[in-house]
Amino acid sequence: MSESRNVTIRVPVLARVEGEGALDLTIEQGDIKALRLRIFEPPRFFEKFLEGRHYAEVPDFVARICGICPVAYQVTAAQALETLFDIDIGPWARAMRRVFYCGEWIQSHSLHIHLLAAPDFFGCGNAIELARIAPEEVRRGLRLQALGNELMELFGARSVHPVGVRVGGFHATPSPERIDALRKRLAAALPEAEALVRWTAGMALPPDAQDFVSVAMRHPVDYAIERGEIAASDGLLIEAAAYPEHFTERHEPHSTALFSSYCGRPYLVGPLARLNLNRDRLPDDVQTLLAEVGFALPSGNVFHSMLARAVEILLALREALRLLADYHAPASPWVDATPRAGVAVGCTEAPRGLLWHRYEIDADGLVRNARIVPPTAQNQARIEEDLRLSLLNFGLDHADDALRLHCEKVIRNYDPCISCATHFLRLNVSR
Amino acid sequence: MRVRVIGIGSPSGDDQAGWRVIDALATRAIAGPDEIFLEKLDRPGAGLIDRFAGADCVVLVDAMCSGATPGDIHNLSRTDWAAYRGGLSSHGFGVFDALALAQALLALPPRLEVYGIEIASSEPGARPGAAVCSAVERLADRLAGLLNGGI
Repeated sequence: MSESRNVTIRVPVLARVEGEGALDLTIEQGDIKALRLRIFEPPRFFEKFLEGRHYAEVPDFVARICGICPVAYQVTAAQALETLFDIDIGPWARAMRRVFYCGEWIQSHSLHIHLLAAPDFFGCGNAIELARIAPEEVRRGLRLQALGNELMELFGARSVHPVGVRVGGFHATPSPERIDALRKRLAAALPEAEALVRWTAGMALPPDAQDFVSVAMRHPVDYAIERGEIAASDGLLIEAAAYPEHFTERHEPHSTALFSSYCGRPYLVGPLARLNLNRDRLPDDVQTLLAEVGFALPSGNVFHSMLARAVEILLALREALRLLADYHAPASPWVDATPRAGVAVGCTEAPRGLLWHRYEIDADGLVRNARIVPPTAQNQARIEEDLRLSLLNFGLDHADDALRLHCEKVIRNYDPCISCATHFLRLNVSR
Repeated sequence: MRVRVIGIGSPSGDDQAGWRVIDALATRAIAGPDEIFLEKLDRPGAGLIDRFAGADCVVLVDAMCSGATPGDIHNLSRTDWAAYRGGLSSHGFGVFDALALAQALLALPPRLEVYGIEIASSEPGARPGAAVCSAVERLADRLAGLLNGGI
């Protein structure tokens, strides 16, 4: 195939986080002339909807932003408001928030690996085809996903748009009997998660080392999930409130999602960014496992994101088990809140990466202004940069179908919501 | 025999059909020989497969839009599944995608009955229309008869 051919690849329906997007790729004279990840879903106006709402409504309201990671939105909002209101939710609620969050990581990562990303690496068009050649692995993935959902249901009453979190703690307390039953199942799942790490480490991934900045939260002791400061791989370490001083959002005509940049450059958020920055926060035996399977960190190959998700499933199971040991129900699962006027800022690590919230609250506890920066928007510029670099590394002389599949693989590595969208792709090729 | 009857739906208008069949069955006197579990689900995705574990027979009821008359009751065989498959995404993993995945995993129950109730609209917060309410009662009668006789 000649390198001087002209190719236009249009992927017109590429939905994202509960939305719609597309990919346009133009190759002329053996060079990429245009590459755009177009997010064309109409704005959803969640930030505007929040204006005038009482602070107590915020956790349930923001949970509706995403069906896959509602816990991230709830916990981020609640913690931002608790910081403003100077509330100490106490050790029980702090620990259970992390457990709740672990459940979301387990379900979201399991879903992404088995139903969305892994089929790419086995020559399968979807999870059903993968299930025919790797049934035990898919069954294992579904079991892990179900376990994550159960952890979410334990604290949120339901796994999709849970309702358990409130400003000040939780609405209800799970019984010790339920916790005990779930702990046994979490412990039984540990070998399965370890096997999942080995399975994903054994997949043949495209060699694709790239130079990018990783951005993720970092905690003095723990692997950062729901607590910590914002760190970057160039040494930045800031509090959540300083985020706007270092990270900017801009609008691009081809997208209704904002593009984020750090020092004028795209950056990576998500599981691989987290591992790149927090390898030393992993338990020793998990680090030993990574060395054993040959997962060297930091990694510049974003195709390692799937392996990173498997590692985080193992980590989340262990964290949930650790925090649920010696579980005792508290006298009250929440503390009362008294609103105060000011600016509430907070961030957590959603399954797909850093999630940042800012709310202006008035003296009556009403939201005057809200700003939410989700991981998908932060990764959007990085995805475009990755696609360009990865395609050049892959070789532009491949057939159109191979180019399209490679683009889809790259996109699927970033976000299960975009991943799900790419399964809807229809491809138009013109020469 | 362990029989699990699952109604799939949402609180939106006619889309309550599956849930309402479960509610209607719960009010019927069923004295058959089988151990019967009634359950209402909302977008179970691949999690539907978990619900098949240990069941000798599963009856699924969901709303559907095929262009037929609202209130029509469809009994869908395996050859119908492919026509209703979605895109296999995290947001669009439908009932028939889950059934196809269960089939690939050899996780289908020994007996599976899939019923669809044709609906007209699914407005959030609306009550189901008269045609769907009537179909709910008819299907509940039919299933109660089936269960009373023993699967």
